[in-house]
Amino acid sequence: MKPLINIENLAVKLQATVILTQVDLSLAKGEILGLVGPSGCGKTTLLNTLAGFVAQSAGTIEINASNNQQIKVSTAAMLPAEQRNIGMIFQDYALFPHLSVNENICFGLKKLTKTEQNKRCKELLTLLELTDFGQGYPHQLSGGQQQRVAIARALAPQPSLLLLDEPFSNIDARLRNELMIEIRRLLKRLGMTAIFVTHNKDEVFTFADKIAVMHQGKVLQIGSPAQVCQQPNSWQVADFLQLGSWLPVALLADYNPAQVTSLIGQLAPSAIVNAPADNKRDSALNYQLLVKPNNIELCEQQGSNVIVEHIGVTEQGYHYLLSSIEKNSVLAFSQLSFYSQELFALGDKLAIKLKGEDFNLYTRTT
Amino acid sequence: MNKIWLSPLVLVALLVASLNVAATDEVNVYSYRQPFLVEPLFNEFTKASGIKVNVVFAKKGMAERLTREGEYSPADILLTTDISRLIELKDNGLLQSTQSAELSAAIPAQFKAADNTWYALTTRVRNIYSAKRLGKIDFNYEDLADEKYQGRICTRSGKHPYNVALVASMIAEHGEADTLTWLQKVKANLARKPQGSDRAQVQAIHQNLCDISLGNSYYFGNMLKDEKQKLWAEAVYINFPNQNNRGAHVNISGMAMAKYAPNKANALALMNFLVSAPAQKMYAETNMEYPVRPGVKPSKLVAAWGEFKADSLPLETIAKHRKAALILLDKAKFDL
Amino acid sequence: MLTGNKNTSWKFFSWFFALALMLPIVVMLLGSINASSDLFSHLWATVLPEYIRNTVILGLLVALLSFCFGVPAAALISQTNIVMGKQLRWLLMLPLAMPAYLVAYLYTDLFDYAGPVQRLLRAWFDWQSPNDYYFFDIRTIGGAAVVISLVMFPYVYMLTRTAFEQQDRNLLRASRLLGCTERQSFFQMTLPLARPAIAVSLALVTMETLADFATVQYFAVSTLTTAIYDTWLGYSDFAAANALASVLMLFILFIVVAEQRARAGQRHQSSRPNTQHQRKQLSVAQQIIGSIFCWFLVFAGFLLPVILLLVMVIDYADYQQLVALIVTGKNSIEIATYTATIATSIALILALFQRLHQSRLRMFPVQISGFGYAIPGTVLAMAMLATFGPLDHAINDVAKALGFTAPGLILSGTVFAIVFAYIVRFSAIANGTISAGIEQIPKSLDLAPASLGVTTLSAIFRVHLPLLKSSILVAWLLVFVEAMKELPAVLLLRPFNFETLSTQVYQLISDERLEQGALGAILIVLFGLLPIIILNRQKDTP
Repeated sequence: MKPLINIENLAVKLQATVILTQVDLSLAKGEILGLVGPSGCGKTTLLNTLAGFVAQSAGTIEINASNNQQIKVSTAAMLPAEQRNIGMIFQDYALFPHLSVNENICFGLKKLTKTEQNKRCKELLTLLELTDFGQGYPHQLSGGQQQRVAIARALAPQPSLLLLDEPFSNIDARLRNELMIEIRRLLKRLGMTAIFVTHNKDEVFTFADKIAVMHQGKVLQIGSPAQVCQQPNSWQVADFLQLGSWLPVALLADYNPAQVTSLIGQLAPSAIVNAPADNKRDSALNYQLLVKPNNIELCEQQGSNVIVEHIGVTEQGYHYLLSSIEKNSVLAFSQLSFYSQELFALGDKLAIKLKGEDFNLYTRTT
Repeated sequence: MNKIWLSPLVLVALLVASLNVAATDEVNVYSYRQPFLVEPLFNEFTKASGIKVNVVFAKKGMAERLTREGEYSPADILLTTDISRLIELKDNGLLQSTQSAELSAAIPAQFKAADNTWYALTTRVRNIYSAKRLGKIDFNYEDLADEKYQGRICTRSGKHPYNVALVASMIAEHGEADTLTWLQKVKANLARKPQGSDRAQVQAIHQNLCDISLGNSYYFGNMLKDEKQKLWAEAVYINFPNQNNRGAHVNISGMAMAKYAPNKANALALMNFLVSAPAQKMYAETNMEYPVRPGVKPSKLVAAWGEFKADSLPLETIAKHRKAALILLDKAKFDL
Repeated sequence: MLTGNKNTSWKFFSWFFALALMLPIVVMLLGSINASSDLFSHLWATVLPEYIRNTVILGLLVALLSFCFGVPAAALISQTNIVMGKQLRWLLMLPLAMPAYLVAYLYTDLFDYAGPVQRLLRAWFDWQSPNDYYFFDIRTIGGAAVVISLVMFPYVYMLTRTAFEQQDRNLLRASRLLGCTERQSFFQMTLPLARPAIAVSLALVTMETLADFATVQYFAVSTLTTAIYDTWLGYSDFAAANALASVLMLFILFIVVAEQRARAGQRHQSSRPNTQHQRKQLSVAQQIIGSIFCWFLVFAGFLLPVILLLVMVIDYADYQQLVALIVTGKNSIEIATYTATIATSIALILALFQRLHQSRLRMFPVQISGFGYAIPGTVLAMAMLATFGPLDHAINDVAKALGFTAPGLILSGTVFAIVFAYIVRFSAIANGTISAGIEQIPKSLDLAPASLGVTTLSAIFRVHLPLLKSSILVAWLLVFVEAMKELPAVLLLRPFNFETLSTQVYQLISDERLEQGALGAILIVLFGLLPIIILNRQKDTP
């Protein structure tokens, strides 16, 4: 089956600044993709380029709507936003303040007759539990209601693709999860393909089928959330997704698999399942080991090597941030996470070591 | 709190700063006449007497200002360009009568109030200007209603004091009903809606837009003195209407002493000065008007237009019919 | 917020200033009580219906034309890549510096049958009389409306352009995604969203037009103000004139209320100014038409009148005139400075009162202090005399009773009356600007200082005033320029030997000798340019 949307080699330049480059993406019908990345990584620009607000400087966007209508956008054949059949929900909802809720929802239905418009509008109001607010104006609604109106408005013209720009950032944290599940269910029921942008990875895990991590205008990794979490393909991906804390390490020799040493001990080559493909030892490179909470344990037999800098309380016990006692080494660290049921005091000196078999090693390029 | 207090303080400071400490050797003039016409005279007066003349000029609202100021008004002398204004001031009780040997000697009875509240300084004729291409014609004001002039007459607004006074004189002669008919016929003869100034009408004649216009006598002289406007004036004859019957309508510019004049002696000195032969000569010449003092000749240029017969209608009658004239002008929708 | 003593004194001053500004208007209304019904029935039976018709037509035409000039210009500058857009952006504001009466004089002179344009045409084509050709008659309602609109449209242009630029770009994007083409999106989104700004500016323009007398007089168009002058100066019926002026004011209040009503349902503030918005790329034909349109406005509203004045200056100006101008110019600047400073201060006090005070009637001081804008200058001057004349009398009577020498007319006979009249007239401008500025300050900032243990008053000085800096500057400058241009009030209220640039220019115009006043007129225009330059600077470097 053809993917619903297929993006190839997309690039965007604004006044000689490269905003997006070499973006390849494809989504099957009904899939929900979460675009994440630090601010300025280009994720919103990607959304705006798909919508037609920003012109691409290279590459193609293909959208294969269900009715076999194909939309293809390239630098040679640009298509204005209104002809792309794409819906969008804006961060601030962008509800038309001078129009009532009904008028907002019917705004994109100009091609239908009045009766059809009313019918569609009523369906959406019911679907989104807004039946009482049709005559009201946006400023009379609560934030959650406004968002539902924005969704209804975007869905009304039955777009083939829905774009959501940080849709949940204005929603109360307590309601957010519930709402995400509700909307995800709705999109799934309608078989709607959607791309949404967020800087919150938890939202992706709740809302998306697929995740794409972006950095400096590039898509670094795409895959199911589980896949990406287990095997982040780069330091940036792992760092952004906060999959663990970073331990500076040194390569002992430049053969594969790598053998590394750190201030809290060495690792056998077999323990590293994932390492930079081309790992010729290079002292200029900054090697870092992704250390997940379960990769550290206390060991009394040795002299202490870390000091407690911060104590936090979580449902799972205490969360400590540790720094190396040795401060002058290139391998010194300051923010290593460690979870334990045991209570220590600030400034306590502990002895820890690495454990486990599934380490990921990255080079950090800045 | 400072900021709030600031504004009243500024107001007070302003007020104090603007207080004029009354100087003794001064005379204050409220003038309907434009400053450049009267200032040379005042300079002469100051030179001769050492009395400083303060002037404020406005075309509108002087009477109202005087009324409101009442007994504390600083005004000594009022200068007007129209008889109706003088009568209005007098009727509102804003004038006082003044007398002096010089005034009695200089101003003939027909050019002053019976109770000596006002004196005329100059006279001006409401002339009919006609295109030279028409040849010399003896006009009566009544002729302006003649159908043969349809689309050939230009005039400024009928509501202008000079035209209102003319209409008032027509009422005095013909009565209201006939004057209204006359106005309606004149209006029907207009080449364009009343607009602009008296000079603009002469310009329009020069440009062939119309053939006949109404205008005060002195504009003719002033235009001839102006490089650009000379061309217009040379395209027209200045006609003194109704020479075979009642005579041409004449209005005056005049002066009066304010009822509460604080500098009475100085004011009288100024009045005496203004009617003196040299001042009369100068006053008449600066604006090409006819001096009221017998024996003082108008300027050469004005004199060249020839002797004329003036309507002997008392000036007060003209003022009396002013309101009726306005009503008729409204009824005829003269300006619309 | 405001508490205790400060609360009451602030309240006191707010109401004091507002009522003081309202006083002449009340006096005017009271003065109309004795109006004779005879005169009214006469006027009604003869000219008044036509005057009213002319007034309404003129108001509507000016509103329509200002809309047709200002809104497309705003759209071209803010939404498209029009050639020289950066320059046109401020050039289009320049007509604001031209006093309407001056442009009216210049244009009636220029396009009159006897004016140079028609003379030239006749000479070229050898036409002899008006019957030989058609040329539009400038001295008509239409002509007056065009010329007034040419100098007034920048209000519409400025406010609308700002509204366009501050629109949330996501609203436009949303409309595009919902199927609107660029054009549809402009008409269904951009334009309706800018409606409040357009309405405010059109109301302002209409108010100015209705209260105008000098300008329409050049066009020989009789309006309601003509009736006011006729009844007052012709029929010497001051009461009736007051009554007519009151009617005119009600007319204008009606417009203001209607405008506010129309706006009441729309509360929205942009969270995302439209700065990076993609400009529409114009086709060559569109570029040409757009450029002609914009440049025509700049040329007709500013360049041509200035050129005409400069030609006169070159022909007639001499050193003596320049020396005389220094004195009159100083007077003008002084009065304008007093007016701008006081009007802005009062506007600040009133606007902050409205914002920070708990009182239920807090919006009233701001509103009633703006009424004066609706009153023709001369009528206002009369109202000033009627208000301060009696006060002066009381002061003098008391002084005499106490054995002092009477101080004279310290209120109605001095610069005080002029400045007061100006403040009454131009408070609306200062209020509007300052209030708009205050609305931009988030409400949370009213509370934040208290949370830091800072008193409200100190918060005003340390938070509100610094944030309002640009609004204060703009308000000050706008009032300053208007005060420089104002004519009728100063003409009637000024003390002896007191000339301003505008009275001098007016006197020379009234004697058809503008040539000699051209230098003064140029000075008025130059001062009018100041705020435009500064306003433009401000907008470019936020």
